[in-house]
Amino acid sequence: MRKPMVPTRRQFLGYSSSALVGLAAFPSSRAKADAAEFKVGMFLPQGGPASIFLAGGRACAELAVDEVNAGGGISGRKVRLVFADGGVAPAEAAKSAIRLILDERVEIITGSHDGGVREALVSAIKGKVPYVFSPVTENGNCSANTYYLGETAQQQNEIIFDALVKPRNLKSFYLVGNDYSWPRAVNENSKKFIAESGGKIVGEEYVPFGTPNRFEEIVTRIKSVNPDVILITLVGGDNVTFNRTFGAFGTDGRILRVGYLLEEQTLAGIGADGSRNLFSALGYFSTAPGGAGDQFKQAFSAKFGETSPQLFAQVGTIGVDSYAAVHFARALIAKAGSTKARDCMAASEGLSFTTATGPAVMMHRYVNRTMYLAECKGTTFSVVATKEGVRNESSCKT
Amino acid sequence: MQDLIAAQTINLIYAVTLLAVLSLGLAVIFGLLGVLNLAHGEFIMLGAYCAVVVRQNGWPFLTAIPLAILVCGSIGYVIEVLIMRRLYRRTFDTLVATWGLSLLLRKSAEAVFGLTYRSVETPLPGTIDVFGVPYPAYRLAVIGLGATAIFVLAIWYGNSRTGLRIRAMTGNPELAQSLGLSVKRLAAGTFVTGTCLAALSGVMIAPLVPVFPYMGLDYVLRTFFVIVVGGLGSVIGLVYGALAIGGLDSAVSAFSNGTYGYLSVIVLAIAFLWLRPRGIHVRG
Amino acid sequence: MSNARLAFVDLTGGYGGAIVVRGISGNVRAGEVLCVLGRNGVGKSTLVKLLMGHLRCWSGEILHTGTAIQHLECSARSRYGISYCPQERTVFDDLSVRNNLTLMGDNRDLGRFEAYFARFPILKRRLKQQAGSLSGGEKKILSFSRALSEGKGVTLLDEPSEGVQWENILHMAALINDSKRAGASMVIVEQNLEFAETIADRYLVLDQGRVVLEGTRRDLNREDLLSHLHV
Repeated sequence: MRKPMVPTRRQFLGYSSSALVGLAAFPSSRAKADAAEFKVGMFLPQGGPASIFLAGGRACAELAVDEVNAGGGISGRKVRLVFADGGVAPAEAAKSAIRLILDERVEIITGSHDGGVREALVSAIKGKVPYVFSPVTENGNCSANTYYLGETAQQQNEIIFDALVKPRNLKSFYLVGNDYSWPRAVNENSKKFIAESGGKIVGEEYVPFGTPNRFEEIVTRIKSVNPDVILITLVGGDNVTFNRTFGAFGTDGRILRVGYLLEEQTLAGIGADGSRNLFSALGYFSTAPGGAGDQFKQAFSAKFGETSPQLFAQVGTIGVDSYAAVHFARALIAKAGSTKARDCMAASEGLSFTTATGPAVMMHRYVNRTMYLAECKGTTFSVVATKEGVRNESSCKT
Repeated sequence: MQDLIAAQTINLIYAVTLLAVLSLGLAVIFGLLGVLNLAHGEFIMLGAYCAVVVRQNGWPFLTAIPLAILVCGSIGYVIEVLIMRRLYRRTFDTLVATWGLSLLLRKSAEAVFGLTYRSVETPLPGTIDVFGVPYPAYRLAVIGLGATAIFVLAIWYGNSRTGLRIRAMTGNPELAQSLGLSVKRLAAGTFVTGTCLAALSGVMIAPLVPVFPYMGLDYVLRTFFVIVVGGLGSVIGLVYGALAIGGLDSAVSAFSNGTYGYLSVIVLAIAFLWLRPRGIHVRG
Repeated sequence: MSNARLAFVDLTGGYGGAIVVRGISGNVRAGEVLCVLGRNGVGKSTLVKLLMGHLRCWSGEILHTGTAIQHLECSARSRYGISYCPQERTVFDDLSVRNNLTLMGDNRDLGRFEAYFARFPILKRRLKQQAGSLSGGEKKILSFSRALSEGKGVTLLDEPSEGVQWENILHMAALINDSKRAGASMVIVEQNLEFAETIADRYLVLDQGRVVLEGTRRDLNREDLLSHLHV
């Protein structure tokens, strides 16, 4: 795994100490926290390309807050969300985290953003309050008082290989992703699965992250190699453009594609033109069958009324992770009785909490969960396989 | 192998044409008015949304063209009269103003269309065989129409009365004014033309990429590189710039990978800014 | 004064905060040439730029056949009937010679330039060439021909003979006198007294932004004029 782009510790100390000095010089009236409220700091991308996840994530988090407050809040106190921008540079986000802790007196921080911001937040928070990283993630980080709710590559690959690769006897793999830590970490995991299944990798390439890419050259190259399946770790707009280009080149007759971050909004962008023989493996699809998902959908409609269908269309796995994050916070604090690292980490082991797809269990600070494999049908997901209780591979100590 | 080279060659031609068309609007406004329009990408974005809107209403794809001209032409005109007209020759102020405009347009699109990806169904599905290589029909149409549009624009700019007067205005504005040319009117016309060209290129790329409010950011930098490398104020410079930037990117991407392709583009652009800031083709 | 084609009254102006022209008055009638003389930097070009509208008048009036035009911008004054040849940047460098001539005409017909081609055959030979590639003197000739052929009531020429061969200066003089007979009015800034003497009806001599001498060609003697032209 490559080192994420974060400031060095020394730079970082500089940032945080100047922020602290700044706060000390201008004491805020808000510093007197309302003891009756339990504040949850929530980082969502408010600007930039990733902000397509904002509306859905926010709505889900607000729904979860209503539910938690209806059930008596956290430790008897009403929950209030304090939002911060997760779509900024890592150092900027770190400053916001310090402000949230010192100024807003939040007692837990959750976040849905990229890995660079995550590393910066981990170093800024230093385990003083629990930090919950909610979206899809690479495995491997065990910082103190830090918890991961998203699907890991291991969990995605388990259902991809069990339900798609092995039954269809897919042997040659082409890996294409954006050039940053998550895609490379996912592919490291995938390579283990490929080796186990007796397949071979016929191509692996990465395109720059954060700049628009064209994929004509890559699709042409893939076509000439003619693999059985393409494992796609492109994100956002690149994921859309790649799959649309692939569709346009008429290569979707035989070659299968699997996206590792292909959720409702990305599929809407890809459109029916480009989604033939395209699969996705995640912990949530809005079309997944089953009672818990339906309950979530009903609660969502009840809260948002008329705007609900339009808003619900923007909710994918990344959105419902923010829903789970609030419920996780409740369960964690209820069991630990404090926000201290030692108490929380101990309490997290085996902790059961509510998610949009029913109760989930945390083990080694990652989640054991139900995984789904879906095939794209036009612009909707059709779930073709379900695997319950998929364990995570974390070895984090508690 | 032969097929691969043929296909990658068509990809290169496509990349160059697409980039040239995307850069036209920026080149017109920067080259002729000296304004680096940082909202160029947002006009492309608005053009793409015009395609989304007509498709949503079930109208033919081509109706997006008059709609884009109407919408972006009017916005361009209002902006020119209210803001830009007062700022020509104040380079820094025009940067700030167009940057602010880009934010405004992006946020307005966000308010109207929401922060979601939209896709526009391709108007020409399927592939056509070119030298034995199946190539997407719509992309071939982009190559054909784009090259024609650039050619026609070059001829028009070089020979038409308006083209000559625009060149007179940019080359020697004092003299142009004393000959009775209304620099105000020509400047407004030029700005509106630039925004309309951006919008039309937006319509063109709508079926190729995800349409969303932030997409404009994707295009400003690369089209700016085209102008830096190509040189200002002529269609031929634009073509050289697109050939250099788009061609290099496509060739390197075809035979190594996308990261090196992007890297080579950045290195080329920096080299030009440093060593030959006036670009390949210097006018006059 | 009342029958002046172009008159300017108490004109004051300059660049930025620097005053250059201080209360100058003068006029030119139909079929008449007013030559503006003076050493370098006394405000001759500034006066012409004020008349054309490239510089804003700080005070004073400009009247075109009795109508005040000092509030009009440059292109509007041109449409009112004023042609202008600047001292520097005299042509459109990246346009061809032909396009320089025909840029503002109703058509691209070259017929109306025959009189100029007859005297300056080099223009005809270089029609397709970019004007930027001409020598300084050739550009002056091109600019001169372009302005005179516009046939507007008033023509402002700022040092038309600068860098031009004497033979061609004489051709210019002949063309100016032809236009004059046809009723044109001209304000011509000059340093070359011999040229001025072949065309001027009246003189306006400037020093330090003010009129120091004025009168008809007959009124003023050569020595007085020369004393204001040389240091």
